Amino acid sequence: MSLIPDKPPFKLLDILYKKEFILFVVLVSILIINSNISPYFLDLYNLIDSTFLFSEKAIIALTMTFVIIARQIDLSVASIIAVSSVVLGYTTSLGYDTWLVLLLTLLSGTLCGAFNGAIITKFAIPSIIVTIGTMSLFRGLAYSFLEDSYYNKFPKLVGKLGGGYLYGYIPYAFLTFILLAFVFAFILHKTSIGKKIYSIGNNPDAAQYTGIAVDKYTFVLFTLNGLFSAIAAIFLSGRLSSVRPNIAFGWELEIITMVVLGGVYIYGGSGSILGVVISIFILGMLSFGLGLLNVPGVGIIIFTGLLLILSIGFPSFVRTLRRKNE
Amino acid sequence: MVVCLQMKLELKNISKNFHGVKALQNVDFQLQENSIHALLGENGAGKSTLVKILCGVYQPDSGIINLNNKQQSIPDPSASLSLGISAIHQESVMFDELSVTENVFIGNHITKSNGLVDWGLMQDKTNQLLKDLEANIEPNEKIKDLSIAQRHIVQISRSLIHDADIVIMDEPTASLSQKEINELYTIIRNLKKQNKSIIFISHKLDEVIEVCDEFTVLRDGELIKSDSIQNTNKDQLITYMAGREVNQIFPKNNVTIENEIFEVRNLFKKTQFKDINFNLRKKEILGFYGLVGSGRTEIMKSIFGITKLDEGEILFKDQKILIRKPSDAIDQGIVYLSEERQQLGMTGLMSVKDNINMAVMDRNSNFYVMNKLKEIKNSSAMQEKLNIKVSYWSQLTQSLSGGNQQKTVIAKWLSTKPEVLILDEPTKGIDVRSKSAVHEFMGELVEEGMSIMMISSELPEILGMCDRVVVMYKGLIKDILNVKEASSEQIVKLASGES
Amino acid sequence: MKKILLNRDFILFSIILIILIAVGFANPLFVTPKSISDVLTDTSILIILALSQMIVILIRAIDLSVASNLALSGMLISLLSTVHPELPVYYFIALSCVIGTILGVLNGISIAILKVPFIVTTLGTLSIYRGLIYFVSDGKQVYSNEFSEDFLALIHVKFLSLSFLFWLAVLVFIVIYILLNHTRFGRNLYSLGGNPDAAKYIGVNENKYIIMAYSLSGFFAGLCGYLWVARYSVASTQIAIGFELTVISACVVGGISVMGGVGTVLGCVLGALLIGLIRNALPAVDISQFWQLAISGAIILLAIIINTKTEQRKEKTIMVEN
Repeated sequence: MSLIPDKPPFKLLDILYKKEFILFVVLVSILIINSNISPYFLDLYNLIDSTFLFSEKAIIALTMTFVIIARQIDLSVASIIAVSSVVLGYTTSLGYDTWLVLLLTLLSGTLCGAFNGAIITKFAIPSIIVTIGTMSLFRGLAYSFLEDSYYNKFPKLVGKLGGGYLYGYIPYAFLTFILLAFVFAFILHKTSIGKKIYSIGNNPDAAQYTGIAVDKYTFVLFTLNGLFSAIAAIFLSGRLSSVRPNIAFGWELEIITMVVLGGVYIYGGSGSILGVVISIFILGMLSFGLGLLNVPGVGIIIFTGLLLILSIGFPSFVRTLRRKNE
Repeated sequence: MVVCLQMKLELKNISKNFHGVKALQNVDFQLQENSIHALLGENGAGKSTLVKILCGVYQPDSGIINLNNKQQSIPDPSASLSLGISAIHQESVMFDELSVTENVFIGNHITKSNGLVDWGLMQDKTNQLLKDLEANIEPNEKIKDLSIAQRHIVQISRSLIHDADIVIMDEPTASLSQKEINELYTIIRNLKKQNKSIIFISHKLDEVIEVCDEFTVLRDGELIKSDSIQNTNKDQLITYMAGREVNQIFPKNNVTIENEIFEVRNLFKKTQFKDINFNLRKKEILGFYGLVGSGRTEIMKSIFGITKLDEGEILFKDQKILIRKPSDAIDQGIVYLSEERQQLGMTGLMSVKDNINMAVMDRNSNFYVMNKLKEIKNSSAMQEKLNIKVSYWSQLTQSLSGGNQQKTVIAKWLSTKPEVLILDEPTKGIDVRSKSAVHEFMGELVEEGMSIMMISSELPEILGMCDRVVVMYKGLIKDILNVKEASSEQIVKLASGES
Repeated sequence: MKKILLNRDFILFSIILIILIAVGFANPLFVTPKSISDVLTDTSILIILALSQMIVILIRAIDLSVASNLALSGMLISLLSTVHPELPVYYFIALSCVIGTILGVLNGISIAILKVPFIVTTLGTLSIYRGLIYFVSDGKQVYSNEFSEDFLALIHVKFLSLSFLFWLAVLVFIVIYILLNHTRFGRNLYSLGGNPDAAKYIGVNENKYIIMAYSLSGFFAGLCGYLWVARYSVASTQIAIGFELTVISACVVGGISVMGGVGTVLGCVLGALLIGLIRNALPAVDISQFWQLAISGAIILLAIIINTKTEQRKEKTIMVEN
């Protein structure tokens, strides 16, 4: 039997070029800079509390990662949060039992996602356009239902999940994110499901010819995205304890930024959960640090936008320069 | 001896390397004015590289290009066009949604003095051209509504508009009926009368001998022979091209063909094919021959479950089976190797190991978890069996040579342990050595018990490898012939629509 | 005859007429000349932006930053006008266009030279430009009383009882019609979008065209920055939030294909008119504004689906049926 090695000989230097390593270095730098800037930064309780701001988005970023690797995109996630939050508030106001409230909330998000998936696969329309449409449709439904009113009564459990801590230390939302991250990393890198997603993202036609059920996978991924948006909605509503139709406005951009900054190629086929997780922490610590410096939220938005563009533009620029020199 | 007219184009010592692969090595090429010059060679011989250099798509690493006895460089496609070189390809520099007029003038719209496009003038010129070429095409028809022959005419019109002196034609008669082919020959001869020089690429040697004045044969990137057509004959050309006796290319295997294993009845798909009936016997190699676009691939895509059949039955081992998607076919043991290797066969940016195992991911996993040991075991077995040249399993498939890529795709399908293998142009675009390796391998497979259906547009391949051949024309089966008893002329006539 | 009936633009036109008539029945005040003139004026900015977005969509891209661009340009000239109210209004219009173009060029450079995919680039600039509005204005608004009379008056000048804004939209329509149908640049845009590899082969410089397309998109966004601020007499960080989606919907409804290379200028305008009409019709028939968003979304989806059904690339016909 011929012995062909699996990978080329391991060189320590190779790690230096890996996206995840670079992201890790960036994260550490931010931590160092932040701790030098403000004495409040390394305070354990502050750090823990900072996770509240990004945990809900992070949960959705996990399924969004799969969607983007599969060469799709979903701009409607924030609007699905709006729908699910409204369902959460409404069913609560009807006096339903907590389990039923939660079930219906999750169902609403799942149905929205399935709607996306159905239109995309049945009519073979690019997901960017479909989700631009459903982005308006879903949030529009939230607006038509709730108008300019709000819900502020939710089941106790929801409040606990959204703002509470396990054992007094670990926020439930954050914990959920971390646990799910492990699960998703395992699925993506160790199972046939993950390989099929990479395959679909790299060459959907070849994947189909190989017997992979591309449409089925696409449909499921969008449905999952909807489900996870609903899960995030539960945590978010619990934390905010007040829900208006404009809830989570603009979140789809931040979630996509988390994924793309994490090294997932926007046109699909490559990326890792680890990269996305590190990027989530980078963005989270960045917001936290800038917040401590009293930089207004706007500054953070500008910074994030720049970071997103430069994180792709700078390496590519360097590559072009190098090629010109050859 | 070539009568020395003016030397229109001369290439001296042209070399071109791609990542260490020598596509062209010190090639000389001379095109006389007013000559129809055939450029011959197997796939991978260097013809398309040469053409791309002339069209400004590639730059030669070394060598000189002389046009009208003046040295020139061709840095990009627009330079090529302005130097009077124009090319007509099989696949198109065509814009489906735009009109004939626009396609003729694409990149070169005529403008009035105020800078705006002069539609009127362009329309008139196009009309005139089409009339001269005796084409039945309206200038404002959209390209997507035209037939392949008509598209060729549009491309030719474009060359004429550019006032090209040198027209390169790459397999111009590939999908045409005999009538359309004759019309094209007339057009080509007219071009010659108009003082154009033509580089004619074709693998149909009869056509080459009939139409061309001179020829150049390339093999493995090197110039083998250049001469006038009258100084040679078909067999000699084949020897130049292949570098060895013809019979060696197609290893004849002695296999006892067994009983019927696969059968289709009355297959019908609207606008694609109709009344398709044939059967495949175990250990048989059944060929499918016809012009490009005669419906062969469409039939196989329906059998494999990529597209839907409107009517018809498929029987496998005497049992009626229903194939709604590719995984149904694969589960039955029927696999399809597509003609478009890069687009449909392999996933270039994934590793060789992943590509080889792509169709058997479920078999290689326990409750969805990938079993790396099984993956490597299968990959090793396939690599040995097919002699795939690869350094690491994690190597990206796109980094392999064309021949090894094809082997990887074949490995992918063999991993599923199929019984029926459908091959669509399996040796297209591969160098001669790999080609014969694939043929030898096909022989081994049938010995081991597999049955093969092979679509091919190369008659020598059909005649050399197949036991029977299904000849198709415009979506219908013209006849199913026993290869030993059939003649090339008979087959070509059927494929061109004549009875 | 069938060809005319199935013509996409004709269908759009018919739908517009039908809606007009239907709404007219429910609310006759809606179809008075003044009311229609108001609708046209209200839709003018959308028409201008849809036409310029069309240029970008033709080459298989999208510009998600137009609304932020518009808002930033508008805010910058508004701030300037509070400091220098004596400057003539044309100065502000020109300046707004220049700012918009620069913002557009930045998009183009990021996509063409830095090779940052258009989705990522315009999502990024959408945030960056919007954020910069806060930055320059300190989060404060510029109110109507802070603008000079001249600044605000131009919009409302009437000619033939239709506003300057409307005629400007007509002008833009003519300009872009000529650009896309009668110039080499325009025709090359269609070829680049229809078959990018082939277009590059015949010498169309993709990078150049990307930068030009986004510059044009930015230019018109800048122009609309002035128009929007002047029309609504206010400049703030919130103006035109989400409007890019409306613009893209107008294009999609108008038949501009996201796959590139397909779409007519007339269709684009009709798409914008349809969307603008619906926005104005809803309040006229007493449907609360809160339904607007949902209805817009539903229409986009319907339009896309219908688009796709008619656009479906037919399989090559091999066999002619007897």
